[in-house]
Amino acid sequence: MYILHNALANVWRHKGRNALLGAIILVVIAASVIALMISSTATSIIDDYKERFSAEVTFVPDMEKVREEAMAGSTDGMVRMTMPTIDADQYLAFGESEHLADADFTAATGVVPEDLTPVAADLGGGSGMMTMGGGGGSTFESEPMSFTASLQGDKFTEFDDGSRALADGELPDADGEALVSTELAELNDLAVGDTIHLDGELRNVDEGSLEPIEYEVTVVGTYDDLTDEYGTSPQQNAFTNRRNEILTTYDTVLENYVSGMQGMQVAATFYLQDPDLLEAFTQEVRAEGLPDVFDVTTDSATYNAIVGPVEGLKSVSVTFMIVVLVFGGVIIALLSSIAIRERKYEIGVLRAMGMKKSAVGVGLWSEILAVTAACLLLGLGVGSLVAQPVTDMLLADQIQAAEEATAAAEEQGSGGGMGMRMGPMGGANQADPDAEPLSALAVALTPGTVGQIGGVALGLATLAGLVSLGRITRYEPIKILSERN
Amino acid sequence: MTSTLTLDRVTYRYDGAKKDVLRGISAAFEPGKVYTVVGKSGSGKSTLLSLIAGLDVAGGGQILHDGEDLRTLDRDAYRARRIGVIFQGFNLLTTATAVQNIVLSMNISGSRVKHKKEHAYELLARVGIDRETAGRPVLKLSGGEQQRVGIARALSHDPRIIIADEPTGNLDQATEDEILRILTGLAHDEGRCVIVVTHSRRVTAVADEVLGITAGRLGTVKGARGPRKPAVSTTHQDRG
Repeated sequence: MYILHNALANVWRHKGRNALLGAIILVVIAASVIALMISSTATSIIDDYKERFSAEVTFVPDMEKVREEAMAGSTDGMVRMTMPTIDADQYLAFGESEHLADADFTAATGVVPEDLTPVAADLGGGSGMMTMGGGGGSTFESEPMSFTASLQGDKFTEFDDGSRALADGELPDADGEALVSTELAELNDLAVGDTIHLDGELRNVDEGSLEPIEYEVTVVGTYDDLTDEYGTSPQQNAFTNRRNEILTTYDTVLENYVSGMQGMQVAATFYLQDPDLLEAFTQEVRAEGLPDVFDVTTDSATYNAIVGPVEGLKSVSVTFMIVVLVFGGVIIALLSSIAIRERKYEIGVLRAMGMKKSAVGVGLWSEILAVTAACLLLGLGVGSLVAQPVTDMLLADQIQAAEEATAAAEEQGSGGGMGMRMGPMGGANQADPDAEPLSALAVALTPGTVGQIGGVALGLATLAGLVSLGRITRYEPIKILSERN
Repeated sequence: MTSTLTLDRVTYRYDGAKKDVLRGISAAFEPGKVYTVVGKSGSGKSTLLSLIAGLDVAGGGQILHDGEDLRTLDRDAYRARRIGVIFQGFNLLTTATAVQNIVLSMNISGSRVKHKKEHAYELLARVGIDRETAGRPVLKLSGGEQQRVGIARALSHDPRIIIADEPTGNLDQATEDEILRILTGLAHDEGRCVIVVTHSRRVTAVADEVLGITAGRLGTVKGARGPRKPAVSTTHQDRG
């Protein structure tokens, strides 16, 4: 106890020296406070974005490859292009990947509703197969079914963005429940509780056989539809008319799924734990049998556009902290060494009085600890006050740098023209033009950050204490006192 | 009378030196007496005192305190509890006050005195330091006052042996007399063993025994008027 008491008294007795040491420690701690506050806030924001936004992965068919494959497989001069599909078994296998945080599955199949008149019936139906070139006929034993509607499993995203809205009843919850558009309901006098019978078929392309399937769903609601009637489809018929989409659950659609048969589109959106895992995930799904015609993409460009400046800010702050810690640590070590040399006589006296080396060391360490504790409190206050303006300034620089980089990249891209690789939907890996980078970062001092700064402070005090102890062990009282005398 | 401190054929050699500075020194020191050790500069007087104080370790022989060899003792604890050392250069904590120096010494020794600060004031009063002076930083005290603080500090843990290295070397005559009065009082009135290394004839004049070091050997010097070359290496007990 007396060691601590004496140490606290010594803090005041050697106030000049301790003020100098304290100033350095204060600068290091304040800088660490700012850096850690920025870093921890940036980390939580990045984690949040990664979790809910940036890690979405999609499998996009490369139409160039699809066409090349179709042409290569043509034997009769006619190019029959079939949209490539990924069967449900593969999707389910992909969903098992340890790199994924989550997966959303959807499914769709063409159907013909019994005893119902589809919207735009006069335009006829469609088969869902694309045919290019001239001549030739179907390779199936009989003519494939001409669908006039589609059964969509778990495709409710338009209800989130407002282009579709529930008009009556409720969304399907259990298997066998369905939602129909108000147009289809009015055209056929459908009401909640009615049952619809749907016919469809699956195709075995290799054998040229067709397998009929049937569904029976109960209408549990109707929806108003503000989407484009034919969306992006190049064909306009009852099948591609979106008012004929009957919405149900994923499992309802999948109940007629037969592995190896075509005619049912299963899609999934996978969410990676981290965008950086895309390559590893791609290798994994390729090993599971994902055809080469599919590109595995993530919206990394959008992620970079939005989160890039924050990541840059975090990187700058961490680098800054490391530099400050290294330089600060060296200066503190030097100051401590000089301070101990200057106090050599005092140490000699204490040792001559019978104080043990360890007790002298603990005393000196306690002094530094007391100075550091005061600096910690002051540093937390100063750092908290300065952190926000510093963050704003650094973030503005990062955003400007990101914008300049994007502009330069766009300039290069427009100059290259033909060299730019485009995905089927008009560029799969380009930044969403609506993606606005984070323009503000509200830094906060969390208990975790306080703990980290406490660790930094303790580390600094221990470093100074170790330097002191290292010197003390070399001092013998008789030598110190005889040198002085 | 039983010896408090016994030196038995003690030798010492400085690092790198070819000869021993102390060559088989033997002596016995009793409580209640003032001993002075005299000799030329470089004769090894202060070295002998450092060995007795546990600040250094003898190359050969034994130093026994109450029959215990210093080599087997915790020398830090020995200095803190069993022996009081007064230095020529005072060796006080200069930024601390006089009373803080005394209290710190008591703390280091593990003193069980309840009111240490009051006890420190009493000790300082015994050597002529009033409360006001006791509360001042040591650096602001005169040389004589600092040496009194040094004596008070040596007494703070109530040791039976007090050793002093040129305690009056930096002091004027009047102050020297006062310091000597205190030191002889510690031996004659309180029964402590006081060993003083000195060049001063005034100090040797008040000593009960005067020991001289010549050529690394210790001998008893007859009378108290100054060092003489000892005829033989012996101790005061041999005279008896």
